Amino acid sequence: MFQLKISLFAQTKALENKIDLFHDKIIDVAMTFKKAIAVFLQEKRSETYRKLCKQIKNIEHDADGLRRDIENKLYSHNLIPDLRADVLELVENLDSILNRFDEVAYKFYIEQPEFPEEYHARMKELCEQVSDCAENMAIASRAFFRDISTVRDYSQKVYFIESESDLTSGKMKEAIFDSDMPLANKLQLSGIISEVADIADIAEDCIDELLIFTIKRDI
Amino acid sequence: MDLSYFIFLSSGLFLGWSLGANDAANVFGTAVGTKMLRFKTAATIASVCIILGAVFGGAGTSRTLVELGAVNELAGAFMVALSAALAVYWMVNNGTPVSTTQAIVGSIVGWNFYSNHTTDSTILAKIVSTWIICPVLSGCIAVGLYLLIRRYIKHTKTHIIRQDLYTRIGLIAACAFGAYALGANNIANVMGVFVDAAPFHGINIGNINFSGTQILFFIGGLAISCGVFTYSQKVIKTIGNDVMSMSPIIAWIVVISQSLVLFLFASQELKTFLDMHNLPSLPLVPVSSSQAVIGAVIGIGIAKGGRGIRWSLLGKVALGWITTPIISALFCFIFLFVLENVFNLVVYH
Repeated sequence: MFQLKISLFAQTKALENKIDLFHDKIIDVAMTFKKAIAVFLQEKRSETYRKLCKQIKNIEHDADGLRRDIENKLYSHNLIPDLRADVLELVENLDSILNRFDEVAYKFYIEQPEFPEEYHARMKELCEQVSDCAENMAIASRAFFRDISTVRDYSQKVYFIESESDLTSGKMKEAIFDSDMPLANKLQLSGIISEVADIADIAEDCIDELLIFTIKRDI
Repeated sequence: MDLSYFIFLSSGLFLGWSLGANDAANVFGTAVGTKMLRFKTAATIASVCIILGAVFGGAGTSRTLVELGAVNELAGAFMVALSAALAVYWMVNNGTPVSTTQAIVGSIVGWNFYSNHTTDSTILAKIVSTWIICPVLSGCIAVGLYLLIRRYIKHTKTHIIRQDLYTRIGLIAACAFGAYALGANNIANVMGVFVDAAPFHGINIGNINFSGTQILFFIGGLAISCGVFTYSQKVIKTIGNDVMSMSPIIAWIVVISQSLVLFLFASQELKTFLDMHNLPSLPLVPVSSSQAVIGAVIGIGIAKGGRGIRWSLLGKVALGWITTPIISALFCFIFLFVLENVFNLVVYH
């Protein structure tokens, strides 16, 4: 009985650590993405950018392993049966943000879009915003596990930054379509801007669900 | 021992079975509903603890019921228990929250009327006052625990997974404690009226001496356990949605508050200790676990700012306080008349 109790505590501790690590990965990927796009705008598909893309891929890969571990522990050890479905959903949602960062960074690598110099500042601003959005989503999700009363504060930040990123991407698209560049370039840039802005939209959707989980758990 | 004794005891056993089926859900329904405990595990823990509570802690509340009306003929005791069971069944069918305690009290008063025994108004007032004190006290305990736990979680920032682990352990402990308290407090409802007519003699097992009343309570405890195993799962499934709408921590607070109240109204040792130190003590009276649950839920609702409280439920509970004992007393009076005049059985002396 005593051994069973110890083992149950140890399993719980291990799961807590894995969930914490998973959140760290989102913050890591958001910071790396921001840095990678800044490098891309300066150097295009340089060796540095390739390394940063690889770094993002590795983070995403590690996060996938952690996600599987978390899911496995939740089910195989029959931990938190009532909360399990919500935690799984939350982890899946966070994973979709990670995947999107990886996909967009890879898209830059493959398509090598030509961003004229005058759009660099706005593009960096957009990347800054979507990264902030994802980071705040990760912090809100971490708060759900540790300090549920602060989830709402971080959620508000995500909503605010997401609407800012919508404005930034909208202005960029407007400026691009008003310019003289060939239509093919305009469509390529518009598409890639939408993909970047989508990261913030996904974070916002995750926050919507997180708030419902929070209401369910609020004591 | 006469076989007819067991035939007469059947109404009490039936009442015990229905108590096990209905009230045990208050004790471990949440743990099973939230899948924190398997039904068989919960039912086994609950059954063992109910029997222990009934045998070792049931004397105090039974004495109070005997003081209210010492039903001195077996046929009379049979009809008192049966009337209470029928009143409960009828009220449940009408959708009114009902308490076995109120039904049995009504029945005993009905027997007193029929047999021209005087009902001790002091004892009756003491019992009736607990119908209000029980949910109020349960609500107060729940509010205290709720504020304490909320503060603790906010202060320590305990991980939600760890919270669930603690809640799980807490629910198992609450299941055992709640079942003990239920057995100790509510066995009087089931077997209290048979105490005076019980034919059992005391026995010794090892160094422990079991009185005849304890043997009677053991049989009653078995009937409650039977209700737990055969029907409570169905009750848990029916009320499952209500249970699931609470977070596990709130559910634990509700279960533990209810268990504490049942224990406070049943513990002879605690009463003796408080009396010895000239402190206010609670009377040893069987109380309704369902009403304790309602009190706890409403208490937490108020502490949360009054959101989502179904005030109409309070009205229904209050209506039950009046109608249940009246209906039960009426049933008892009429059926005693039938038993005496149609079946020629002696129902009092």
